Amino acid sequence: MKELLQRLSDRFSLKEITYQRDNLIFITVEKSNVIPFITHLKQHENFSHLVMIGAVDYIENGTFQLTYLLHNYSLHADIGVRVHVQRENPVMESIHTIWAQARTYQREIREMFGIDFPGSPDVDKPFLLEGWQNIPPMRKDFDTLKYSQETYFPRSGRKHYDPQNYMKQKLYPDKEPE
Amino acid sequence: MEDFNRDKFPPIVNGKPIIDLDSQKFLKVWQGPQHPGVTGNMALEVTLSGDEVVDLKTHVGYLHRGFEKLMERRKYLQCFTIVCRICVPEPDTNEYVFAAAVEDLAGIKVPEKALWLRTLTLEMSRLASFLMWIGGQAGSLGMGTIAQWTVAQRDYILDLFEELTGGRVYHMYIVPGGVRGDVPEGFFEHVEDVMKGVEKVLADVEIALLNNAIFKKRAKGLGIISQDMVDEYGIVGPNARAAGFVRDIRKDTPYAAYDQLDFTVITGTKSDALERTYVRFQEMLQCVSLIRQIARRIPKKGALYTQIPNPLHWKIPAGETYIRAEASRGEYGYYMVSDGSEYPRRVQVRGPSYTHAIAVLEELAVGTNLADLAGLMVSLHTCPPEIER
Amino acid sequence: MKLKDWISPFYVWKRAFEKPFTVPKPLDERPGSSRYRGFHKNDLEKCIGCGTCSSICQNHAIDMVPVEGIETTKGDSGLRPRIDYGRCCWCALCVDICPTTSLSMSNEYLWIDTDAEVFRFIPGAENKPWDNVQEGYTREESYHIVDPERVTMEMLPPDERVKSFLEMVKGYSREQAQKEADRCIQCGICTATCPAHMDIPGYIKAVRENNIKDGLKLMYETNPMPAMCGRVCTHQCEDVCALGHSGDPISIRWLKRYLADQVELDDYAKAMLVAIDSNGKHVAIIGAGPGGLSAAYYLRLLGYDITIYEAKDYAGGMTRYGIPEYRLPYDQLDKDISYILSLGINIQYNTRVGEDITFEQVYTSFDAVLISVGLLTPYKMEIPGEELPGNISGLEVLDMVTRGEKVYFGNRVAVIGGGNVAMDAARTARTFGADVTLLYRRRIEDMPADEEEIIDAEHEKVEFITQAIPLRIEQTEDNKLRFIFGLAEMVDQGDEKRPRPVLIEGKEHSIDVDMVISAIGQGADFSFLPMHYEALFSRRNQLKIDEFCRTNDPKIFAAGDIANKTKDAISAIADGHRAAKTIDHMLQKEGI
Repeated sequence: MKELLQRLSDRFSLKEITYQRDNLIFITVEKSNVIPFITHLKQHENFSHLVMIGAVDYIENGTFQLTYLLHNYSLHADIGVRVHVQRENPVMESIHTIWAQARTYQREIREMFGIDFPGSPDVDKPFLLEGWQNIPPMRKDFDTLKYSQETYFPRSGRKHYDPQNYMKQKLYPDKEPE
Repeated sequence: MEDFNRDKFPPIVNGKPIIDLDSQKFLKVWQGPQHPGVTGNMALEVTLSGDEVVDLKTHVGYLHRGFEKLMERRKYLQCFTIVCRICVPEPDTNEYVFAAAVEDLAGIKVPEKALWLRTLTLEMSRLASFLMWIGGQAGSLGMGTIAQWTVAQRDYILDLFEELTGGRVYHMYIVPGGVRGDVPEGFFEHVEDVMKGVEKVLADVEIALLNNAIFKKRAKGLGIISQDMVDEYGIVGPNARAAGFVRDIRKDTPYAAYDQLDFTVITGTKSDALERTYVRFQEMLQCVSLIRQIARRIPKKGALYTQIPNPLHWKIPAGETYIRAEASRGEYGYYMVSDGSEYPRRVQVRGPSYTHAIAVLEELAVGTNLADLAGLMVSLHTCPPEIER
Repeated sequence: MKLKDWISPFYVWKRAFEKPFTVPKPLDERPGSSRYRGFHKNDLEKCIGCGTCSSICQNHAIDMVPVEGIETTKGDSGLRPRIDYGRCCWCALCVDICPTTSLSMSNEYLWIDTDAEVFRFIPGAENKPWDNVQEGYTREESYHIVDPERVTMEMLPPDERVKSFLEMVKGYSREQAQKEADRCIQCGICTATCPAHMDIPGYIKAVRENNIKDGLKLMYETNPMPAMCGRVCTHQCEDVCALGHSGDPISIRWLKRYLADQVELDDYAKAMLVAIDSNGKHVAIIGAGPGGLSAAYYLRLLGYDITIYEAKDYAGGMTRYGIPEYRLPYDQLDKDISYILSLGINIQYNTRVGEDITFEQVYTSFDAVLISVGLLTPYKMEIPGEELPGNISGLEVLDMVTRGEKVYFGNRVAVIGGGNVAMDAARTARTFGADVTLLYRRRIEDMPADEEEIIDAEHEKVEFITQAIPLRIEQTEDNKLRFIFGLAEMVDQGDEKRPRPVLIEGKEHSIDVDMVISAIGQGADFSFLPMHYEALFSRRNQLKIDEFCRTNDPKIFAAGDIANKTKDAISAIADGHRAAKTIDHMLQKEGI
């Protein structure tokens, strides 16, 4: 893995590198570098298996993180290629031409996070959420609790007492002398 | 497909088939979302020319429960009770992968005996999942009786799970740090009884299904996965092994106690429905063998659990990881991101059906007979719940 | 295709002769496995209503609700879990985490009803067919979600301890404190039991999250002497800690000490950020013990001008003169006191009311007077020979040691009594190199002293003689004292009362010692109050005080050991706080 990293950093500018395990490394690259980088990994370094495309919302930084997890079957090692995409009008280049199955991931990410992958087949078609009107639900600013409270009704007859407060009420309520 | 006739198919413009339903040449049929061959719901939008499939679109979204989102507002231990629900027929893989991801991020080492017990439940659930699948495979090609036999055997495995964990379907047994309890008295005798029953039924299945001319005829050549397709589409597990790839996570990057067990990776040569059935059938026998090995060699004594911090305010160090395991359908993995708080930042589930049931199925279905479509879908061993978490 | 492939499917027909798999009806005859996670059971007697089941439940299926017939008491909230089976997922995390192990599950899984509302029920309180079913899920003995063991506190070993007055408890490091604080399940059961009702879960959370200043501020809301209490508090909170039911209770006291130890005195003001506007009213406080100091602190924060009259040359009262330095180093006590006094409190040392200034003078020149003089008059054993030189009270011994006076203990000392003063005196004598025998009229389990003090004394090789009734003290020829005692048997007094020691007549035992220290309790001295204040008393030497610390005189209030039953520092602090609130209330009312 070390030699591999050496080879990679000679060719590409790698930003942050995280060693999670002996066989799992996460590498952050510039957005413009992603496609050449993973194409290189697939074609020349035998990272032939696209495990998944992960997406994380870093709302506090105003970015989404996309993680292309690639697996090398001969080394039994993975590289997670991380890239940060601006949260405002998020667009990322599609990789469905590199891996045909990527279109499914991209379609889901488009729906769940609102990141667009122009050119990816059917990327605009609803995947799971036919008729969804709200903001993309996997974004951090989509509040599931609020949504469920607005959409559904609570079961009546439930009441919870906090033990600490309840004991105060019962055993030492705030009293004032007359 | 030697008798491929281009005329039957819609013309392709700019890489997309143009289906003119008004031409009366094509018929659109929806198969599903309920389907006896798969667990969960998934619909196939099939375009037919005669009884031949010319286009297929997989539609999911019938059982989206939002688990990934739900986990973001639950503490780590609270998540452990919901991950098993992501995949009904094989919950233990989820439990294991979730626990292992948390352990990897938090730097927790699991005691030896717990590793063995985890392996035991993983193999039992693989076997249960295969038994369910073979019922679907036989049923979808017209042999419903086999399903009666194998699903009954699966139920006996569920009895074992109930005895070990207290739950039949959702076991909630593998917790971050270890497992929740030791095997009860006499458990392995019951395991052996069930294994004997499974073996007997599998012997019958071999005679009645694998040596069945009708089955062979229908399954042979159905949904051939070429070697080129495997990496292009991210095909894993028995689907890839049937195409001759020697890839098994249990061997390649052994986890739990797999490095101490004796087994070989089962492969085929040409991945069609028949070959995949053979591979899975062999893997069922392999499961039985592994379960017996575990029963024989599991440490009698030892800790079951590494003490974790108080789960009510357990903060996992910031970081991200990916953990995979070999489920009955292939590579199953969790991508987990922690931002150092009490709640996971992101948990993303990678199920093998994600590719198998969508991109691969849509590709393979074109040109098949409508009657074989269900058999094709089941031969990929698809499980919709893991597509929409 | 071979011929075989065409024939073999008919093999299926053999199954026609086999026994079917089908499990016949009725279904409910198949019991769940003995570990089955079925319907909940709750042992209402064991349950303390801590609500941890409710906090861990990821489905929000559990509410804590009052149950008829279950009283709220110290250590029991009186609430019990009610489970909504519309939400429960049978994961049994509630069972796993239950600190009392009252919650469990039966292996029953069939419950059919047409009314959906019945599936919200209080296990144990509503009778169900499975209440007495033995089988079902329980937490495995060795499996604990929350670590049952507390982080060990490093202490000086006993043989080191007896050599000096160095503080014996070393205190937690940050890592240790955070690990211990992590065990807290934040149920808050402890808060009601703490006499000062400190927000214990709150400051433990501050330790866990390393918000030291917030934690300190939180402690000062109810207790202005945390460095002292963090060392010598009687920690009734720990006795009721939910985790104590199946493991070690949280080390609440050591965590309090940890918080106070983290902030230097100079940084207190920065951490606390108090602003004081004077309201022009004056309050006098007699006695600068914990009660008086606590009242002074809270009154000062409310804007009162405070004058404290203290008979001795330092403040702290019993915590200074009654507790040896190895348990409470003076610099730590001084830290608490200095911060309180730094708020601008006038303190007159060496001023005994009744001698150096009359009570009348104090009474007339202030808007209110708080009496917190403590209990300083030792009880007598009332036995012959008590007047012999060499017989001294425990309080006197501790006082002398504190003031640095030379005390001659000799080689062998007898200590009489079973309270904290007796333990402290005995251990102090050990530190001066004497062999110590402690005699107590009841059994060890009846001793009023803190359990740790008893254990520490044992470790330091104090010899215990229990059920020993003092008879008399004699002088021996070689100028030693002979302490003569009889043994007692414990006579049962019925359920409510503790057994009474009754002397076994006829047999006498004796030990020869250089010194007899009697520490059998102490009373108050109200001689400074002029005669016409007699109306204040209910009985001789007992002030009549209501729950708001008021006496019969609207200007006179009382706090501290003279005003409460438990007679410990934390109760005095609580009293002081309460008295401050009452004085404020009364004076504000007057003002309107």
